[in-house]
Amino acid sequence: MRRHGLGLFFGAIFLAALIGQAIVGHADFNHAQAAHHGDPISLWRYVTSSEFGTDVFENWQSEYLQFTLYILVTVWLVQQGSPESKPLDRAGTESDEEQKIGRHADPRSPRWAAAGGLRTSIYSNSLVLVMAAIWIASWGLQAVAGRIAYNADQLDHQQAALNLWQYLGSSDFWDRTLQNWQSEFLAVGSMAVLAIYLRQRGSPESKPVGAPHDATGVEG
Amino acid sequence: MPRSLALLALAVCMAGCGRAGDRDDARAVTERFLTALDRGDGTTACAQLSPDTRAALVDEEGKPCREAVGSLGLQASAVARLQLYVTNAKADLANGDSAFLSQGAQGWRLSAVGCRPARGKPADAPYECALEA
Repeated sequence: MRRHGLGLFFGAIFLAALIGQAIVGHADFNHAQAAHHGDPISLWRYVTSSEFGTDVFENWQSEYLQFTLYILVTVWLVQQGSPESKPLDRAGTESDEEQKIGRHADPRSPRWAAAGGLRTSIYSNSLVLVMAAIWIASWGLQAVAGRIAYNADQLDHQQAALNLWQYLGSSDFWDRTLQNWQSEFLAVGSMAVLAIYLRQRGSPESKPVGAPHDATGVEG
Repeated sequence: MPRSLALLALAVCMAGCGRAGDRDDARAVTERFLTALDRGDGTTACAQLSPDTRAALVDEEGKPCREAVGSLGLQASAVARLQLYVTNAKADLANGDSAFLSQGAQGWRLSAVGCRPARGKPADAPYECALEA
């Protein structure tokens, strides 16, 4: 269990936070219902509703976009002094030897790293492919659920409902999207820069406490 | 893959789970209201309106709902299309009118009737209604 502490810890606090969001989101929804002389709905109906769905998926898509971008741009972009960056002279996809691909694979390398051809190409990009697929899927679900929640409000105000295409061009969809994107981009950018000068003893996300500010690609 | 399937199931569920009964109820309330008006049954027609909408009608007309509801001048017509989102719905009638419904303590009730799109984009401007809460 100790060997998998990181995954287990984040899995547990994810579930706790999602349950918490469901409980307080349900209370907030019913508060709004009461304000409009509506009937409260059950917790189950709330967590299977688009109101809850869009709130969940708009955050998921931005998180997966953040990691997709970070995985991808750190191949080519470097940041002097940051432990988040590769050494300045290693920008790019690197050589097969450095990546232990094909005939450079060692006995413990994953099979697809040694296989060569399409399988190695796919496996070489598998992390970003899966992260991007989850991002696109959750962004799509945000659009589907967001449109239903938006249309509920529209009808509540005696306004016409939007189809999915119209909703994709609406200010509501882009407001929900961009408000999440900007916070992710800020957090990841500030992490890359702050880690040049600041340290956390023992964390692999930081340089060793005594490492110089211009040491790049060094993790403690 | 199981995660993708679970997400897909959740998305489909959010779009449709438990909505068939709601759609039937909302449609039935609208048709019951219009049929009652056609028969001159003000009591039944008023029972299909939300409490706020009934109160608005009584306020406007200065007489009991069952007497005032006939003076709205609404004509019976079939429900041609029903849109339902979470706890709100819109019934488009064959004669071009629309009615709005919301799900309250007594189930689905009409919150606005005799509605036509206002000038401009219908998504931006509220419909103009013969009666609304």
